[in-house]
Parts: sequence; structure tokens; C-alpha cells
Amino acid sequence: MTLPNRLSASTGVGLLAAPILVLLVLLVLLPPDGTERAAWAQFIGRFHPLVVHLPIALILLVPVMELVGRDQRFPYLRASAPFVLVLALIGGIFASLLGWCLGRTGGFSGPLVTQHMWSAASLVTLCWLCWVLRGRGGRLEVLYWIALWAAVGASAWTGYRGGQISLGEDLLTQHMPGALRKLLGVAAGTATDPTIGGGTTFYGARIQPIFNRNCVTCHSREKRKAGLRLDTYAGIMRGGKRGAIVKAGDLRGSDLFRRIKLPSTDDNFMPKGGKPPLSPDQVKLIELWIADGASATAALDSVKGAPADVESSVRAEITFGAVDFAEVAKRRAEVAPTLARLQQRFPNVLEFESRGSADLVVNALVMGDKFKDDDLAALTPLSKNIVMADFSRTAITDCSAPVLAGMKRLRTLRLMHTRIGDLTMRSLTNLDQLESLSVFDTAVTPAALPALARLPKLQRLYVGQTAITATGSNAVKEKLLF
Amino acid sequence: MSDSEIRPSGPNDLEIDERLHPGVELALLRARTRRHFLRTLGGGLGTLFLGTLAPKAARAAAVSPEGDALDFTRDASSPLAALPPQFPAKVQRVIYLHMAGAPSQLELFEYKPELKRFDGQDCPASFLAGKRFAFISGVPKLLGSQYPFHQTGESGHWISDRLPHIEKHIDDLCFIKSMRTEQFNHAPAQLLVHTGNPRLGYPSLGSWVVYGLGTVNQNLPGFIVLLSGGKSPDGGKQLWNSGFLPSVYQGVQCRSHGEPVLYLANPPGVTRPLRRGMLDTIDEINRQTYATFGNPETVTRIAQYEMAFRMQIEAADAMDIRKEPDSVRAQYGAKPDEASFANNCLVARRLAERGVRFIQLYHWGWDSHGADAKEALNLGFIDRCREVDQPTGALLADLKSRGMLEDTLVVWGGEFGRTPMRENRGGQEMKYIGRDHNPSAFTLWMAGGGIKPGITHGQTDDMGYEVVKDPVEIRDLHATMLYLLGFDHHKLNYRFQGLEQKLTSVKPARVVAEILA
Repeated sequence: MTLPNRLSASTGVGLLAAPILVLLVLLVLLPPDGTERAAWAQFIGRFHPLVVHLPIALILLVPVMELVGRDQRFPYLRASAPFVLVLALIGGIFASLLGWCLGRTGGFSGPLVTQHMWSAASLVTLCWLCWVLRGRGGRLEVLYWIALWAAVGASAWTGYRGGQISLGEDLLTQHMPGALRKLLGVAAGTATDPTIGGGTTFYGARIQPIFNRNCVTCHSREKRKAGLRLDTYAGIMRGGKRGAIVKAGDLRGSDLFRRIKLPSTDDNFMPKGGKPPLSPDQVKLIELWIADGASATAALDSVKGAPADVESSVRAEITFGAVDFAEVAKRRAEVAPTLARLQQRFPNVLEFESRGSADLVVNALVMGDKFKDDDLAALTPLSKNIVMADFSRTAITDCSAPVLAGMKRLRTLRLMHTRIGDLTMRSLTNLDQLESLSVFDTAVTPAALPALARLPKLQRLYVGQTAITATGSNAVKEKLLF
Repeated sequence: MSDSEIRPSGPNDLEIDERLHPGVELALLRARTRRHFLRTLGGGLGTLFLGTLAPKAARAAAVSPEGDALDFTRDASSPLAALPPQFPAKVQRVIYLHMAGAPSQLELFEYKPELKRFDGQDCPASFLAGKRFAFISGVPKLLGSQYPFHQTGESGHWISDRLPHIEKHIDDLCFIKSMRTEQFNHAPAQLLVHTGNPRLGYPSLGSWVVYGLGTVNQNLPGFIVLLSGGKSPDGGKQLWNSGFLPSVYQGVQCRSHGEPVLYLANPPGVTRPLRRGMLDTIDEINRQTYATFGNPETVTRIAQYEMAFRMQIEAADAMDIRKEPDSVRAQYGAKPDEASFANNCLVARRLAERGVRFIQLYHWGWDSHGADAKEALNLGFIDRCREVDQPTGALLADLKSRGMLEDTLVVWGGEFGRTPMRENRGGQEMKYIGRDHNPSAFTLWMAGGGIKPGITHGQTDDMGYEVVKDPVEIRDLHATMLYLLGFDHHKLNYRFQGLEQKLTSVKPARVVAEILA
């Protein structure tokens, strides 16, 4: 009834077996070896990815037709299955031959391409077998089904390997969402170890990462284009089909450097195929590395004039510290009644340092000379919560010294334009958190400096418009700001 | 619920007090329909609800777990009340020195010896492909820096000889040389810098900050704007506008000569008690209006009247640079009764000392196209540098000596950069030397709390034309500024048009971590 059946009986078997045999011979005798060859064969070969999807779809269609065709409503599907099968076979042979062209002439080598190739060859053979076995009934029918499912499996495997060749070995996991990654137990990260050579050597920290990012899609253990591997130091130094690509100390003789420096339109430019070129900084790094002897062990700082390492220092993202809100709420509750009363009395003077903190900031400067010693004394119950205080322009005097001395957690204290003097300074010695103190335009004199020198964390002491001058030596000289 | 959900009343809500005109009252009663009744009913319920809002003001400062929307509601009578930041802030206040017109980075901070080498040569075609310019046409010539550069300070920054006073503080400055903008005309570019959006109607940076943090000194506006240079910036008052935020947060433009705020002083014959009595009456009427319509703008009006009353005393004092000793005025080069940048810098320091949250200065005249002497790199530009250099240096010195540079952020920059090509308006060589607008790269510096001093972030190509490393967008600058003020920029929100609006808008913004101390 059908064309295939008639053909199978006579010339069909041989007609389609012949190109398969040719293909197998080609694969065995002329495998891909990393060398680039005739342009016309490569041109034809480039159609391989285009053509290959048709037979894949057709092969997957065959079991679907067979199974659905068992339903009485669709007997015609079963009847058409051999026709689709033979189309798949013809398409598969054609695609495989194109694939061989590409592999042989496109500079491919390595296990990835070999596996892809042989897997495709077995797929074609399985298809042929299916076609031979189909419709013979009995035990052969069982064999037919086995071959068919094997063909489906082979097409999946071939497709996966092919995808790896064009999109990279981690094509399925590269952009896998974190949750799914976790579920499947897939480790994050790239196929190649970015720390090869160690982060302490110039090569390991600066050079190998460049190759990992830009070159290993084509030049790695799995896919050795031009017989070249750039994923290890040994591979780089060994070179490829055309010999060494890096000659220590010899930029002119280093083919790798020549190629990355070419205009990006040049045929020999690397990375090729529209991949982004190396940045000027990266080219400079490689230049310095080769010129300095292309060492694997030279220390990170041994190469002079290297551009700053933007890769590692830049793009640090800001994170906000976690806050224990329960703890903060508890600490806030302790001072809440006092704080509420004082906030009423001094509007806008007392405020929490942040929404996630029970520490207080005092801004008495807004009250000016209306803020006096008694007012400051009223803050005593909050002393241990106050971390920053500005009493500038207020009317406080040395009488407030004990109250200020009680604010033991102060980090910043401003007493500008007040009548504060040495007496207060001498009583501040136990403010062991104080980092910054401003006594600008006050009566403080050099006599207070020895006491202030005892403040362990003090870093900046603002003494402009006081009796303190830059001349003369004292214990806090390097902390003084005028 | 935030106060934003109180909708302004519709046009039918006549703001006429009908009690004053019995005839009007009768007419209104006759015209009253079922719809009016229902609307009034709704308004009444709304008013009841508003009554429940007041206690929430106290809650705004309460502990809010992360992830919750931050609450910025305040007591209706004190919309500028200080609120704590989301996180401990690095800076308490901002002094933003905007150089309107866009100063040439190539004459000030960007040392480009390669450009100098190609001075006078035709600009390569690749520089012009796909670019839009305000005035450049045909093939312009490359233009090397007009002023000599030298390395200075411990940081070894390169700087030209035009800014000797700022140069003294060079080790305190952090230069961002990779600023980028998407606007190449002044007004939209300035709007982008100051509102995060090149279109009208968005709140300015200062408005957002005062909305988020309030201000400690209730006798002065929280956001003050001072202008100099003889002209307003091209973006106009929109640059300190409050956009969709309640208008109480808009910048208050003050004058640095004469009365700081026009009509603030009482006219002859009006005493302070008399003014108080008048305000009490107006307030009473406004409160009734608010009770009827619940429009937050009415509350703003009440608050503004009250602030004006308080400002009558404090503002005059804060703005009066005569109160400074001659020596200080001399350091700034300030002369009373001038609208100069020097005076404004001195006023800025006085305002900062008084707890003003956001102080915005604009100095106009940096648009160095070379179309006339005033905007020529070899003439007017020299004057602009002289006008801003000394006061900026004095401001930094003053803040430093008082310890205030620790918690003040000073920002200096324009709205875009200038081209490495000489402007050739109409394709002709012009009489004066100038450069056209370059949105692709400009330099801005910051100093103060939380900023790493003495560093340069980002890099442009050898011609200073395009950013080649670490580009910083305007929104990144905003996110960084808000971070320094204690906010995650995603969390400083205001609900408007169904969106949690934010300063940094919708494109992803990044805090520039590299410049943080």
C-alpha cells in the first residue's frame, strides 16, 4: 500500500543504508581534529543547526503517531508512521552529513563534539533499523519498539550535547532559578574553576579569569577548537594545532596576543563569532603578563602597572544590617514614658537614631539659649540611650559637666558656641565611646588637652576659635582640627 | 493609611462660607440634591476617620519591622516634624551646590593629555555617529583643555588652575568622573538631577528628604533654596517643587539680599500681637475648611502661616550675613546686599548650623558654548570659577573646622558635561571658545559624612567623551544620597496614582558602594 513498504522490499534498504555507511566511514576516517579547513565545506556545515531540528521533530512524531493511531478513531496515523519515519531518516542522514562538514572543517575537537557526532550516527542507524523492522510482526515488532524508543533517547542525548557545543556546557543550569537549582541539587557556578592557579598569583587572580570569561566556551577540555585549551595553564602554554600561542616575554611571537589585538573585523580576531571583545584593561593585563614571562607562580603584585582589579572590588552591593526589632522594642519601652514627656517639653530635640534603634540623638541647638543647664539635667534618665548630642548655641555651662559625663555611650558631642570650659572637658574622660568632639568657639584651653588625650576612641577634636593653637606639642596633636 | 489617600475635593465643593450670605445659602439649599447629601455624608465620615489619624503621628517613630512600608504620617499641625531615618544616617543634612548650565569638566577636573594632543584636529566620525547635539553641526574640531592641570594633595588628584580654593580641600573630595544623564538640554537635565525625572510634576530631592526626615528647626523651612548668577536655572521653580508630595515639602526660595523672604516682615503699623491675632482668625477659618473638606493642602496652608510667623524672627537672623565678623565675610568674599554665590554659601553655613535639612544653591552661568563673551571658556568661565571657588572653599573650611563636615553632605556639580569638541554653531568657527552639551559623561564631587575622601570613582575615555568604567546614573546618585541620609531608596515612598512612588523611579538604581567610607 505504501511507498516505503515497496521500497523496503527491494532497493530501499540498500538505498538508505549506503549514505549511512558513507557517514560512518567519514566519521571513522576523518574525525573532527580542531583544524579549520575549506571555507565552502564550512559554509555548508553552518546549515547543520538549521536542518537538524526537522528530523528531531519527525523522530519524536513517530511514536506519537504509533500510539495515538492505536485508537480506532485515528487508524490513518499509524498507517502514516512509516512515511514520517522515512522522512526522519532522510533528514537525519542529511543533517548528519552537514554536521560532519561543520565538525571536520570548523576547528572542533574534544569529547563533546565526538560524543555528539557518534550519538547522531547511532540515531541515524536506529532510525534505519526501525524502518527495516517495522510491519514485520512477531518478535521483530518488539525489536521495532525497542529501536524506536532507543532512537528517541538518542535524539535527546544528541540534542543535549549539540546544545552544549553551541551554548556552553552549562546550558541547562546556567540560568536555572535558585529554588529549582536547590531542589535538583545542582551546584551553582561555572563549569570551570575560576580559582585555577590560586588567587594569590597574578596569573590565577587576573589572567585565568579573563580566559574563563571569554575563551573557554570554545577552548576547553570538552570542546577543543583548534586543538587549544585555555582552561588550564598547561593548556595555554602547550598551544594548539598551529603550535604555541604564548611565548614568555615575547609579545610579537605570541599568537594569542596578536589575535586579541587585531581589529574586531579581522578574520583571525579572537574571540570570534560576535562574542564581545576583551576590554582594554584585559588586553593590557595579558600584555603585561606575557611580557613579564607568562609565569604561573608570579605573585599578584609582582606585575607593575597592571590596571586596577575592577572585577573583584567593584559591584559590592550595599546591604542594610538586620535589626532585632523585638529587642529594640523592649529597649524603647524602658524609656518610653520619660521620652514622651521630654519630647513634649522639647519638641524636635530628642529623636531615635533610626527606626530600628532605641538609641537617641539630641539636637538641642534648635532651642538656642532657651536651653539651659536644668533642661540638660532633665535628660539624665535617658543618658544611657544618647549616642549623639548637639548642644551648640545653647546656654549650658560647666554646671552641666556631670550630666554630660553620665552620657557614657556618646559617639559625637558638639558644644560649639557655648560657655563650656575646661572643667567639663576634664570630667568627660570616661566617655570611652566618644569619637568626635567639637568645642569650636568655647572657653576650652590647652590645659584640657591632657584629660582629652585619655579618651580611647577620640579621633577628631574640633578646637577652632579657642585658646588652643596648632603650635606646641601635646598628646592629641594629630587629632586636633582647626 | 497615609494622608495621601485623602483626595482633594472636586470643583463642585464651593469654598464659600454660605453663612456670610443668606441669599447664597438659600440658593445652595435649593440646589442641594441627593448627591450633595451623599457626598456630605461621605465627607463627614471621612472627617471622623481623620480624627483617628492624629495618634498615628506618634506611631511613625515607632519600631517598624523591615519589609513594612515606612509610615511618614505626622500630626496635621506639624507636617515638618522630625522623623528618624530608616537606618542610622551618615549625614544629617545636605548642601547641594548646583552649577546651572553645566560647567566644563575638561577645564576643571578631567585631565586629558591625549585630547590636548589632538587639539584643533577634526573630530573622528565615530564621535558623531548617532549623537545629538544642541549646537554642534558638521565636523567640529577637538578642543584640548584651555587651562593647565597639575597633580595635588596626598590623593594626587589632577585639577586645573581655576579652582585654587577648592583645591586646598582636594583630599576631602570624592570625584565621580563617570556621571551620565539621559537629557541633553538644560531644563530636563536639571529636572532629572533634582527630581529624578525629566518631566514636570515630580517632587525634588529636597522635598523627598524633608518628607522623609522632617526638620529639627521648626522656625525655618526644612528645604531652602538660594539663587545666584543673575538668572534662575532653566528648570525654574519646578526644580524645588514638591510634585505630588504635599506642598508643605516644597523648597522655600530665599533671597540673599534685602528681605530673605519677600513680605515676611510686618508692614509698618502692624505689630506682632496684631499679626498673631489675625493668624489665629485665619487659622480658625482654615480649620473649619479642613473639617469640611479634609484637603491636606488646607493643613499645609495653616502650617505655612504658622511657620511664616515663627520665621519672622529666626529667618531674618539666619540670613543676615552682617552678623558674621568681617574676617569671615572676607574668607567667603561675601558682601552684604548682593545676590552672590559667596553670600549664599555663607548663608548656607548659617542655615546648616541652625538645623536646616536641605540647602540648595544654584549658581547660573556655566553654559560655556562660546556664543558670547559671558559664556566663553576663555572669558565668562573664568569669572564663574572665581565666583564659586573661594566661597566653596570657605564653606568646606567652615564645615570642617566645626566638625559639621562629618554629618553634612556637600554635593557640587552640573546637570551634564561638555563635549571634547569645540562648539561650531552653524558649522562655523566661533569668535569665542566653547563646548557643547555632553550628556554621556560629566564630573561631580561630593564631600562629607559617609563619603570616602580623596578618591576618584569612574573613568572616561582619553578624550573625556564617554564613560569607560563604572558609570553612575543620576538615579544611582540619588540612591546613594538617600542611603547616606539613612534610607533604602525603595522604602522612601509616597502613594500616588496607585503607585508607591519613589525618587529613583522605576529603572533599577544602585547605591554606589565604592565611594562610601
